[in-house]
Amino acid sequence: MAVLMNRFAEYQSGPRSRGGQVGAAVADRPGDPGWAWAAYEPSTQRPWNLVQAGHLYRRAAFGAAWDELQQALSDGPQRTIDRLLSPQADVAAFNREHDEYETSAAGSVDELRAWWLRRMIQTPHPLLEKMTLFWHSHFATNAANVNDVRLVQRHVQLLRSQALGSFRTLLQDISRDPAMLLWLGADANRKALPNENYARSLMDAFSLGPGNYTQKDVSEAAKACTGWFVLRGQLRYIDREHDGGVKHILGQKGSFTCDDVVRIVLEQPATAQTLVRKLYHFLIGETEEPQAELIAPLAESFAKDYDILKLVETMLRSNLFFSEAAYRRRIKCPVEFALGIVRGLEGMVSTTQLTQDLANLGQNLYHLPTVNGWTGGLNWINSATLAGRHNLALALLQGSGPYGGKLNPLLIARKYGASTPESAARFLLDLFLQGDLDAGVYDAVLKTAPAILATAQAPADSAGNEFEDRLRRFTHTVATLPEFNLT
Amino acid sequence: MSYTRRDFLKGALGASTLLSFAPAAPSFLVRSATAAPRRDDRNTVLVVVQLSGGNDGLNTVVPYADDEYARNRPTLRLPTEELHKIDSLIGFHPRMGAFLQLYKDGFLSIVQGVGCPNQDRSHEGAMRLWHTADADHPNRQTGWLGRTVDGIRNPNRTYAPAVFVGPIAQPFALNAKDVIVPSIRLPGDLVAAQIPGQPDDRSQGIRIAELPRANRDNPLLDFVRQCATDAYTNSLRIESAAQTMANTAEYPPYGLAGHLRTVAQLIRADIGIRIFFVELGGGGIGGFDNHANQMGNHCALLHQLSESVAAFVHDLRRDKTLDRVLLMTFSEFGRTVSENGRRGTDHGAAAPVFLAGGKLRTGLVGSHPSLTDLDSGALKFKIDFRRVYATVLDRWLGFEGRTVLDGQFEALDILSV
Repeated sequence: MAVLMNRFAEYQSGPRSRGGQVGAAVADRPGDPGWAWAAYEPSTQRPWNLVQAGHLYRRAAFGAAWDELQQALSDGPQRTIDRLLSPQADVAAFNREHDEYETSAAGSVDELRAWWLRRMIQTPHPLLEKMTLFWHSHFATNAANVNDVRLVQRHVQLLRSQALGSFRTLLQDISRDPAMLLWLGADANRKALPNENYARSLMDAFSLGPGNYTQKDVSEAAKACTGWFVLRGQLRYIDREHDGGVKHILGQKGSFTCDDVVRIVLEQPATAQTLVRKLYHFLIGETEEPQAELIAPLAESFAKDYDILKLVETMLRSNLFFSEAAYRRRIKCPVEFALGIVRGLEGMVSTTQLTQDLANLGQNLYHLPTVNGWTGGLNWINSATLAGRHNLALALLQGSGPYGGKLNPLLIARKYGASTPESAARFLLDLFLQGDLDAGVYDAVLKTAPAILATAQAPADSAGNEFEDRLRRFTHTVATLPEFNLT
Repeated sequence: MSYTRRDFLKGALGASTLLSFAPAAPSFLVRSATAAPRRDDRNTVLVVVQLSGGNDGLNTVVPYADDEYARNRPTLRLPTEELHKIDSLIGFHPRMGAFLQLYKDGFLSIVQGVGCPNQDRSHEGAMRLWHTADADHPNRQTGWLGRTVDGIRNPNRTYAPAVFVGPIAQPFALNAKDVIVPSIRLPGDLVAAQIPGQPDDRSQGIRIAELPRANRDNPLLDFVRQCATDAYTNSLRIESAAQTMANTAEYPPYGLAGHLRTVAQLIRADIGIRIFFVELGGGGIGGFDNHANQMGNHCALLHQLSESVAAFVHDLRRDKTLDRVLLMTFSEFGRTVSENGRRGTDHGAAAPVFLAGGKLRTGLVGSHPSLTDLDSGALKFKIDFRRVYATVLDRWLGFEGRTVLDGQFEALDILSV
């Protein structure tokens, strides 16, 4: 041990916590909107550190590589969030290029799934993909009912185009999206037989939320939407099938069209409140239902312009986001679980294999179970899916097999100067969990790696592969910790 | 299975790590280790067997005494002397000898003339009806078993209450709004894997999940820790169950038999799964949809069904596990009474449903539908399929059938529970 200790100068670390002085949590006022939504400023009580940077990258991206965490540490929260909101790279060019890959190379929805995961891993703007995933679950569709690869592709492109844009535009476009109408069986909206499926989903799942509309509103809105059809994959408006009569919708009266329905729904305060609440669960936490007072200021502001970027920015910069009330208060969805490993280890794996494995864990991209999306939270986890996550992490980290050893913890540890066995182990705990484990857990995890220490004393060449394998195994231990399933 | 979770932990993990941790472990972990493993009020298990393609019920349970049968089936008629006779009116298909034996032994019931109102005789439409159990909303986005598992959801539930075992896409019956229902082929697919020759990850996983955490009042962390403990414990249980009873049972070399063997092993592992779903005939191997030259294929499928279910019943009988298992078959529809001129039959309506298990009270339920009073050439149903669903939900599983089925359907009084 003494011999090894000398080499620790290169990388040293131990268990950490979110830090700050005792009593910092007392200074937090998570129920006070003024405090909660004010921008977080680092202080000695609430310092900016590796743990906060890791938290930010898990929520606003799909995890981080070590150099991203280090950059965030030196830049501070403001500049780091600036970069996450609007990166310097040419995002539009990147996405154009990927759109072309999809068009030319993806002949099936299965291939579209793989291309999207690839985009999530490689994108210079991970927050955009994260929010596209959020809208994918919000405007939940199932490709099996659409049966047209191009329509399905265009649906997700539509989500991406406004993922950080205007919710107003998004809701208008979705209401005219052939994939959405086909999935809901609302592709033939005849005057004599108004189809209520879209109108109901619009009010119940996409905007107002349950309890904020009546069946009468749905029936009347369905009449307003008559005349719209999807014929051979094309959206068509047939005027003689439109019911031009007077409708009563949510307290308004007129000879409304489908556009009017969207406008009226957006005028209801419930829409902004429901959306802010949903985004709260996505970005802040899902353990508690926020009080109305906490939601109110953001909802009022959101209702004015439906600017998604501004809303996301307010949440990400907030005191609340960097408080105990948000930290590890969400369960990672399978995508976050897997990509956290992939991005941390700076590799690229077969996303064809990965989409299938994620589907088995309950997150089948392009195939939402119902119009309510992935309800997530505790539903992600049961003893079967947790065994599945264990096995997926094992496959990703193995030196061979379906993922072909594309991820190598040893290379990454060495790249950042942690080349002794113990320093590499501590580095990996920092990379994935910022070392934030209870001291007893931290030590117990570290103790699972005594074999790593032993191999380091063997002759260098014969020990090389052995060391690499042991470190893969150790990384698997880290990725299967209960804490790693939280974000 | 008589052994308890505590016995299991002692056996599989040596000295019980969980109990030795008791002083430091959070109360939720201690509770789970010391309480009997009773997850719900009951521990009954339902196994649904889907026969894909539309099974010809008339050539499955044959009304041989009715002259109309022979008259309508010039080439597909099964010789009376080869039938396995149930009574003076009906008999099983010649390749279903094993079913007759099960029937005589009281382990098999036949519910005659089961069907759906308003089915359109398309595979997709009729199957969707059986899957959603909602005749009024063909667009219904959840299946009847999906709604069942959503309904029994409970924030402390750490295990998957239903599993699909088979190589095809998961049937829509299991589509749930909230609960993730795993699709597997072998018990090992639910096991947290272990690299051979390495120290046991699962014991280590349990040990680390159980280490105390400073209380940050985070219910998510507690829940994931509990699930991790259960995932690893269940993995050991499944492996242990696979090595004991089920391994010695004889199963014929059919896909369905293999899947039922998996089901038997998982029932014995006692990891809380209440609903299993298996399938015969789908996945592009022909199936029950025989519009031409039906005889050979249908014989083979019925033989596989009969032999596989019999092997499953015999396996579970050995240790009385059968007493808490009920198997139920269904197909999207029966077939036309008349042949279609190509030695085949077309899409029909009513057909029999088979129930197998250790707690059946009645062999024959209902009477055979008339062969002359038809609905567009097919048998009229006498028992709405949702009455069968209500029976298995209310009487067998102890769940609220009315909520799942959006209405009260009279359960059949055929189980002794």
